[in-house]
Amino acid sequence: MAVQFTDGVVVGADSRTTMGSYIANRVTDKLTHVHDRVYCCRSGSAADTQAVADIVHQHLQLYSQVSGAPPPVHTAASIFQKLCYENKDALSAGIIVAGWDKEVGPSVYNIPLGGGLFRQPWAIGGSGSTYVYGYCDATYKEGCGRDETVNFVKNTLALAMSRDGSSGGVIRMCVITEEGVERLFVPGNELPQFWQGSEVLPNPKGKAVPEPQVVPMVVE
Amino acid sequence: MQHVAVPHAQPQQRQFNPYSENGGTILAIAGANFSVIAGDTRQSEGYSIQTRYAPKVFRLTDKAVLATNGFAADGNMFVKKVRQRLEWYRHAHAKDMPLRAIARLIQTMLYARRFFPYYVYNILGGIEEDGSGAVYSFDPVGSYEREACRAAGAASSLVQPFLDNQIYFKNQTPAPGTTHPAHLPLSHVLSLVIDSFTSATERHIEVGDGLEIYVVLAKGSALQGLDAIQGLSELTTTDDGERMFVIRRNLKRD
Amino acid sequence: MASVFSPPGFDFSNQLRNNFMAQKGLPLPKATSTGTTIVGCLFDGGIVLGADTRATEGPIVADKNCEKIHYITESIRCCGAGTAADTEFTTALISSNMELHGLTTGRKPRVVTAMTMLKQMLFRYQGQVGAALVLGGVDSTGPHLFTIAPHGSTDKLPYVTMGSGSLAAMAVFESGWKANMSREAALQLVKDAIAAGIFNDLGSGSNIDACIITASHTEMLRNVEMPNQRVEKERQYGFRRGTTAWKTENVRSLIVNEEITLLGGGDEMDTT
Repeated sequence: MAVQFTDGVVVGADSRTTMGSYIANRVTDKLTHVHDRVYCCRSGSAADTQAVADIVHQHLQLYSQVSGAPPPVHTAASIFQKLCYENKDALSAGIIVAGWDKEVGPSVYNIPLGGGLFRQPWAIGGSGSTYVYGYCDATYKEGCGRDETVNFVKNTLALAMSRDGSSGGVIRMCVITEEGVERLFVPGNELPQFWQGSEVLPNPKGKAVPEPQVVPMVVE
Repeated sequence: MQHVAVPHAQPQQRQFNPYSENGGTILAIAGANFSVIAGDTRQSEGYSIQTRYAPKVFRLTDKAVLATNGFAADGNMFVKKVRQRLEWYRHAHAKDMPLRAIARLIQTMLYARRFFPYYVYNILGGIEEDGSGAVYSFDPVGSYEREACRAAGAASSLVQPFLDNQIYFKNQTPAPGTTHPAHLPLSHVLSLVIDSFTSATERHIEVGDGLEIYVVLAKGSALQGLDAIQGLSELTTTDDGERMFVIRRNLKRD
Repeated sequence: MASVFSPPGFDFSNQLRNNFMAQKGLPLPKATSTGTTIVGCLFDGGIVLGADTRATEGPIVADKNCEKIHYITESIRCCGAGTAADTEFTTALISSNMELHGLTTGRKPRVVTAMTMLKQMLFRYQGQVGAALVLGGVDSTGPHLFTIAPHGSTDKLPYVTMGSGSLAAMAVFESGWKANMSREAALQLVKDAIAAGIFNDLGSGSNIDACIITASHTEMLRNVEMPNQRVEKERQYGFRRGTTAWKTENVRSLIVNEEITLLGGGDEMDTT
């Protein structure tokens, strides 16, 4: 997931990598550095998204050396889109690109499965994202500050991780602003807690459950 | 370069599969007046061990032993049903069913399920009414024959050729002026059984953990060196009938 | 005229024929696979790699004491699981390229370099090269440990397992691993993890190999533990001379007799 706010963007992800039902890596870093102020969130095939991110990383290194300036986020996103679109038959990659540049400030780009490219104020992707579209629609506001946005990302990921079996582990986040990139980490035992269902099991408040009425069987 | 399109999207049909294959190997060898029936005790599915001790060899009567191999759930249920039929026989006739009759019973019980078979290979060993050692081997739907030796199960393709060579002396020319013996002594047979299983354990991943060897001696025959074998315990229940023993050994656990 | 030029890389000339035969119902030959347990573990000054030594062909044990820890460079080693031939050739190829890379740059090549070469090669072959690897080593930037899956994805972790015994081995790591372990504690944990694979996974077996890599020294511990020695046979299986029957007998003398006649003198060896 990535969300843009007034001074920058927050990107976040869970940390689970699975091979079938086996968790191959429970502390994965899915927030991948592609340039100083541009990160991407990877979902889909690990091999495909790593390979694509590595290629984009190489392009951006070359770009910044040739032009003498850091690449705009849109440039990075366009390279991702080109690779994802032209190789759509061979790839299973859903990528969110986010970062800060001096031309437009903070921006978030979504590149879903077919290789489209969409600029969005916030974007979510991956298997757990379907569970939290409603939460994001209901919660996102324009013009938020840093802390508010970090909490929004953290809560969204925690909700997705609690519902989706293929998501889980810890939350990793990056706050990307003009000043730099700040890494945040939420351990698995300190995730935000929401409705747990525990109040369903005890008795309704103030009402004592009557003892079961045992009627002795009539013996003829 | 020319690329050849390989069609891979072929129609698929899926259905529930009630069977699985639980590995392991069994074997039996008949002597002149004894019968040896053995099996390893590992039960596995895929690359996992379900248990290191699941018997595959079962005592049916004082003179009959049945070994089952293949799908363990079917094997256990089949043994249960055979034992039930043998008990009914005993109540009806006040004696144990003879070995050759048990063999024929097993055939009819297997063939009754011709179109939903018990997924097991059976080997029946014991003593016939004439006092000779016998081995009967079955396929899953009831085809059977009496033999001197038989291996079945996961490592049967490793063990059977060894037995053909060492019991039937296949591919062995006798020394000039001699002939091969028709029956081997008990101690010789036991050492072949043990070597079969230690070798199968070396080269087959589904064989290992434990070895159970049942020995049935005909009425009135001597121990033939059996008392010197380590890990032996006697299962005989009567004083004047056949004697039955079991030898338990460890096999490699990797 | 047939061309004598052979292009580099894999030879696909039998693909058409083999696809045709597969369509006719002839199954492809089964490759030897190392249904395996391989592990790696980080400790405070380096890396310990571990592997079992069983190679299988379906349910049959093809090799009871094979080597699964492959040489990449003096201070980088790689454990291989999956198709035996693929792990052998990919590690050999990358080892060769790492040697050349070291010669070209004049520096000791790094673990990430080997990792990148391996993942790019495996990704190029889209999982057709069935190598699942555990790569570990020490370079100028410190100790590093990676897994590389057959499709080319990589993970960097302080303790890793791969192969069919990976779940059994990971259970040992998840319960026993601590940060900043000593060399001895790490080696013991690796041995326990491999033993768990050997005894609980049918695809793994026989002996334990380990390799300890530190900045100054690499120690290959071939067969550190041998918990599955073969038991002695009950009988001797020698065969009498003349056991095998024959239909015809034909004896040929293969010894060539030559008579040497010295002509003239001056051919003697100078022994001064």
